[in-house]
Parts: sequence; C-alpha cells; structure tokens
Amino acid sequence: MSEMEKKEETPKKDMKDVFTAVENIKCVVQKSQKFVEEFLSEPMCGKCHPCALGSYEALVRLKRISAGIGNKADVDAVQRIADQMLEGSRCIKGKDTAKFLLAELKGESFAEHLAGKCSERECPNYIMYRVIPEKCVMCGLCKEACRYNAVLGEKRTSYRSGYLPFEIRQKRCVKCGDCLPACPYGAIEVVEEKTAVLV
Amino acid sequence: MGNMVSLKIDGKDVKVDEGLNLIEAAAAAGVHIPNLCYLKGMKGIGACRLCMVEVEGGKAPVIACNTKVKEGMSVATNTDKVKEIRKFVIDLILSMHPLDCMTCTKAGVCNLQQYAYDFEIKESNFTRKKFGYPTDEANPFIKRDPEYCVLCSRCVRVCKAQGTNVLEFSGRGVGAKVVTANDKPLQESSCTFCGSCVDACPVNALLEADRWRKGREWEYDKVNSVCLSCGNGCSISVSTKDGEVIKINSGVAEGAAEKYICAIGRYGFDSLVSEARLKMPMKRVNGELKETTWADAFATVANKLKAAGPEAAFITSANILNEDAILLKKLAADVVKTKNYDSSVTLYSDYDAMKTGTADLEKTDLFVLVGTAPDQWARVLPALDAVIRKRVNESGAKLLVINSGEPRISSAATQILKGDEVKMLEQLAQAVISKGVKAPKEMIEALAHIDPSDAAMAAADLFIAAKSPAILSSPSLYKAAANLSLIKEEAVSVPFEANAKGVVLMGLTSEGKKFKDILASKTKTLYAIGEIPLGKRPDTEFLVVQNSHLTDLAAQADVVLPSTPALESDGTIIDYLGRLKEVRKAVDPAGESHSHADIFMGLAEAMGVSLKKVKDTDVKKALKTKGKAAFSPFKKEKDLDIDGEQFTEDINRSAINGSRLLWLKETEKGAAV
Repeated sequence: MSEMEKKEETPKKDMKDVFTAVENIKCVVQKSQKFVEEFLSEPMCGKCHPCALGSYEALVRLKRISAGIGNKADVDAVQRIADQMLEGSRCIKGKDTAKFLLAELKGESFAEHLAGKCSERECPNYIMYRVIPEKCVMCGLCKEACRYNAVLGEKRTSYRSGYLPFEIRQKRCVKCGDCLPACPYGAIEVVEEKTAVLV
Repeated sequence: MGNMVSLKIDGKDVKVDEGLNLIEAAAAAGVHIPNLCYLKGMKGIGACRLCMVEVEGGKAPVIACNTKVKEGMSVATNTDKVKEIRKFVIDLILSMHPLDCMTCTKAGVCNLQQYAYDFEIKESNFTRKKFGYPTDEANPFIKRDPEYCVLCSRCVRVCKAQGTNVLEFSGRGVGAKVVTANDKPLQESSCTFCGSCVDACPVNALLEADRWRKGREWEYDKVNSVCLSCGNGCSISVSTKDGEVIKINSGVAEGAAEKYICAIGRYGFDSLVSEARLKMPMKRVNGELKETTWADAFATVANKLKAAGPEAAFITSANILNEDAILLKKLAADVVKTKNYDSSVTLYSDYDAMKTGTADLEKTDLFVLVGTAPDQWARVLPALDAVIRKRVNESGAKLLVINSGEPRISSAATQILKGDEVKMLEQLAQAVISKGVKAPKEMIEALAHIDPSDAAMAAADLFIAAKSPAILSSPSLYKAAANLSLIKEEAVSVPFEANAKGVVLMGLTSEGKKFKDILASKTKTLYAIGEIPLGKRPDTEFLVVQNSHLTDLAAQADVVLPSTPALESDGTIIDYLGRLKEVRKAVDPAGESHSHADIFMGLAEAMGVSLKKVKDTDVKKALKTKGKAAFSPFKKEKDLDIDGEQFTEDINRSAINGSRLLWLKETEKGAAV
C-alpha cells in the first residue's frame, strides 16, 4: 500500500476526537482555543455561515486572550459568537461547539485572564519559569534538557570557585516545560508573569 | 399545484400556492426575508442563515428558504432572535469584505450593502480579515474578485445547474474561494462566458469586465428586448447610459429556467460601434463604394428594381422583424411585382415546419429532442441547452435524446435512442402504441411492421409517464416528430434564426424561387437583406445589400443600405416556441442607418407607391395561421440538414468580428488545437 492510500484511509476527525483532544487541558482559555482549533481543522464543514465564519473569528479572539493581549471586547465577541452559533448553526457540530464555549465562558476564568492571571498556569504568555537559587545544586541537568538554550549557568566543579549561577533567560524560553521534570531537586518553578515582575 | 394554502406572515393573512417556500410566500405578502444564498427556482441550501424566521409553536428558528408553507402556519420574520442572527452573519461577512462601497460598481444593487444598511452595521465588530487573493481579469467578459466573495455559492450552483460546471469551492470556511479546475483563469477552463454567474452574484465578486466607471445601476435606462443572434431569441434587458449600451442581462424573470443568455447575447453589443458599422448609404462609382445620400440610393435602387420587375429577387435573413417581413413582402410582391422573395429559413426548413406548436418549458417534465442538438459550448441554441439541463438537474425533468450522432446534450439524457432519427421515432411510436396508448389509425397501420427495441420500450415508458412532454425537433425531422404529438402534446421545430417562425407566418414565403434557387440562378437585380450566410457575390447584374455592417458580401455590392441592428430597432418577433416577443430600441440608430421597415417604405415611395406602417393588429392577424397536425409518413427532409454551428457563426459574423467575441473565438480555436 502506498503512502497516499494510507493517508486516505485514516479515519476523519469527528467531534468526539475534538472533545478527547482537550480532555487533559485544565486552563479554560487554553482548552477553548484548542477546542476551536481542533474543530476548524476537520469537523467544521463550512456549509453555513454562522459556524464557518463564527468559529474562525472565535479562534482569533481566543488566541488574543491566551496571548495576554485580549480585552473585554474579545470575551464579549466570543460570547456573542457562541450565542449566535447555537441559534444559527445548521448542524449539531456547530451547536456543540457553541455549547462548549458557552459552558467555559460561565466561570471566572476569562475575567481572570483579562486581569493577567492564568491560575492553572497553562497559558505560556501568563507564566514564566524560574530557577529557585536556594534549591539549585548547579548540577546542570536542566541546561541539558533545554532544547532552546534558554538555561544559563555553569555546572559546579569541585576545584573552582566563582560560578555563574543558573537562571532561565526569559527571552529564549518558550515555556515548553521540559526543564521541570529534568530537575531532581524541584528547583524550577512556574510563576505567573505579572506576579513575578512585581516581586 | 393549484391548491392554495392560507397562512399568517407577520400577522398578515396570506394565501399562496402550495409548495412555495417561506421566502416566496413572504414576498407574495410584500415582506422581504433577507437572504444571500437563496436563488429563486433552486433548492434552498441554508448556508447564509439570514432567512431564519420563527414559526409559531416551533422550538427553534427555521430557514425560510427550505421551509414549505403549511396550512394555518404563523410565521414571524423579524423577531429579536432572528434579527440578532442576521446581524451576526452580516457583521462577520463585513469583517472580510473590502468595504469600498464608495467606488464599488455594484453599489445600489449589492445585497450586502443593503443588509448592512438595514441592520445598521456601520463597520464590522469583528477582526478584519484579508486573504489577498488575486483578481482574475484575464478575459474581456467576466472579472472575478474573490476578495468581495461572501461565499454564498450562488455562482457555483448556477453554473452546475445549467451543466457548464466550471466553478467549484476550494477550501471551506473563512478562507474558501470559488475556483475553476486547478484554479486556472476562466478561459483555460471550459467556461463559455455566458455570464450566468455574474447575474447570480449578490456582491461585486463577479462582474462584467468592462464596467469600471461606466455608471452604476441607478444611472441606467433599462429596455426589455430580444436577442436575435440565434433560433432561441432570448429575452434580454438592456442597460444604457448616455445613449450607449453598458450591459445586457437576461430579461427573463428571476427563478425561471429560461433565465440564461449566452456570450453572444450578453457581450456582442460592442459591434454596434465597430469599424465595420455602416452609417451612410453607399453606391459603387467607378468600381468603388462611395458614400451617398438616401435620396440618391433610393432612386438608384428603385430604378434597378423597376427595370428588373419580375426578374428581381429578394433574399433576406430571418433575423428581420415581423414588421420588416410584412413590408418586404409587400414591396416585393405588390410594388416590384416579383414572385422571387425568400428568407434563409428555406436553407434548413420548409414553411410548414415553421407553423408549429408550442411548449411551456418551465413545466415540461420530459424533453424529447428529435435531431435537434442544442449546445452551449458550440453556441448552437445555447439557451435551449441550458434550459433543458436546468430542468433536468433542478426539477427532475427527464430528457430523451433521439439522434443519429452524439450531441453534447446527451450527457444530460435520461435515455438515448441513438440511430437514424426516423427509425428511432418509428420504434418509439410503435412502442408507445404497443403499450396500449391510443393513436390515429393511419399511424398504427403504418407502424404495424415495426418491432421496437428494448431502449425504445424504455423510452416509451418515459413518454407515457410524462404529464407534459415537450417534443422539440430539428425542422428537417418535424413532420416525423409531429406524429408523436398526435399521441400526446405538441411538437415544436426549432429553427436556427430568431424570427424564422415570424418571417414565415408573416407570409414571406416565396411563390417563385426559393433562397437556394435564387442564389443558383442569374438574377437581374438581387436585393439581400440582413446578415446572410454568403461571402461571394452571386450571379447578378445589380446587387443591393441592406445590413448594419459592411460584410464581405456588402463590400461586393453595387448599393449598400445601412440598416439598424435589433438593439436599435422596434418591432416584434415570434420565437421558436411561437411566442410573440417585443423587440425594443435601446439606443438610437448609428449615423443615418434606418430600420429595415423604414427603408422598405422609403423605397416603395421612390417607386411611387406608398406603403402603410405595419400595425400590431397586422402582426396578430398573421399569427393566427397555424398548421394543423396530421399524420404524415415518417420521413426526413434530407436536404435541409445544415451545420448549425457554422450557420450560427455565419449569421453573427459582423457581431463576432466587431466585438470582444473575436477574442473568445480565437481563444477557443487556440484551445482546440
């Protein structure tokens, strides 16, 4: 069987897959964004305007919110889109997406994000990774684990003094989280960006 | 149909035909339900969701385009709920629309503009989106600009319904785009440039290519007329501004299957002002054609006609109007006193085949095509091709093709009887009779020896099941096809010229030599009218050509009289379905050209006889002569077969060569190589 044929045989993503894809995401904004992204990537059929144009716009707005540049107008827009998609969409897929968004919009999470807080600490743009100097033993494992060369510091060697301490360069950090499990001493923590700056 | 249903729309009591959808029902009550994707006459697809309405007792709003009226139902078209949905959709569309209404050609007739106004949306509340799709303007007919597209898919569906099938969506959702196969420019697809998509587009995404700064809809004067380019004689609506034709659209009501015109009808009007256009009478002086006055031209021609008397001959195209035909007959028979006057009709038909029945194509449920081969792509009776395909694709009509060749229309056929048309007709008739259907005695006897094939038996089932079949035949097969009409309905022969039936019914039927014989024999004075499929001067002592353009034949004439083309003339024609249609002047005659009728009257005057102007009643009286259907042997008039494509091109040569249609002809030729 050729590569092409295989591709055609892969079953199409349906709404169930969309729900599965967001199962393990805790942050409401992240979850909503991923949900709409997954929805647009395949199950969205494009046969009616409220859903085809609406879900695209919803994604644009959700991306803004999750990037930390959203405002109340963005949340209102998502609310309006969900409301109208529920009424106007042609089929159950659009209505399910609308219902999902409406449920997620209910809590405080969106308002929290607008205030600069992602309490689940999953929105990359709301958080930063930091080395806790008190806990760091300068083993260098985090530096090895980082694929983006964002960890700066020198491994401790017994015959030298005056080490460069370990720290994470925020400009390079993509918040992939690879360093967290790499540290055997729990010396890396995730903090909310806004709080961190204040400290 | 016929049953009426009572319902309430916004509190108003309405009675409408059963089977209507809510958009149509509301329209009948004077209520407009907003919509972008609905196309009258086609199934509602419910894409735009603008037409949502609330039905009393219903759980949720429904789409009006796809909801049929029900007795006693109460519909609210403007509730807060549906208004919000409408606003939402328009708001979203505006977020990806160029918003240049100030300079947009479609301003005033743009549905999006209207709804934005109605819903009070000054600018979109959503994020601006732009996709940067290039405009396809590589052809002189249709400009496609995807940036304006509202994804209503009207163009795609119109193109599919009529079987042209050029447009398709690529992608889905916001970034979707209407494309041809492989996203090639239109001329590299199988587009025929009929422009049906342009008429369907609610915004500025599809537009006539030459409309930039030629005025907008509210600046145009509109005249309903008829296109005389081929046997279909399509109704057209001509838009003019400052005495110039700006565009031509189909003149048929929204929703009718007949709403179609081809590229020649839509775009051939540039030929009105082409270089070959004749504006002054001309006379051959010292071997050269020189401009002269009407008085001189009339005097010259009058003298020659008088001198020739019975040896004079008149040949005319059948694209002249009824009024022209009546006067021409009077001029020839009563003033010049010759028996030799004929139209090009006799090249492809006998006179009887032009006095035929009619059919209502909008109601036809079975088309029986005998020999006739309408073809959109070759532009032979293209509108008939489109009507049939639309009825087949959209309304479930059936098509039975009886043809010895393989005409393109066969691709839409339910059943094909391929083979000698006469034999196939005999088999079909016999099959129908063998299934116990009544037929005239002579016919039963004449067919007794025929053993119908299985295909003929299947076709007979179609014919028997049909409630209102239309039997359309080429003129050469009319008599044989008309036998079918003795069993059911009427038979119609389809000529190649717009007013072929009118010319014959008005009595322009030779009592002497026919068209071909006139050309074959030597004449003293030959008077040729209109665009005649003839490039070489026939054997005549004196040749008069009366036409709107300087054709090859006109260039060899002794006197050339400038006449007005249809767009500059008033009068009537009788189309292939026997309908009287009004041709109306859209623009003033170019230069000193006159209508055929006026020229004939002027000539008669110059010969000392005054001919009266033709009245409506004269035409209507002539219309009453109708042939009676009677059994005639199954036979084909063999010498009446002509190449429809070549003939249609010949009679439109000045229009094609004098307009952007030349580009199309050359492009299509290039593609064929």
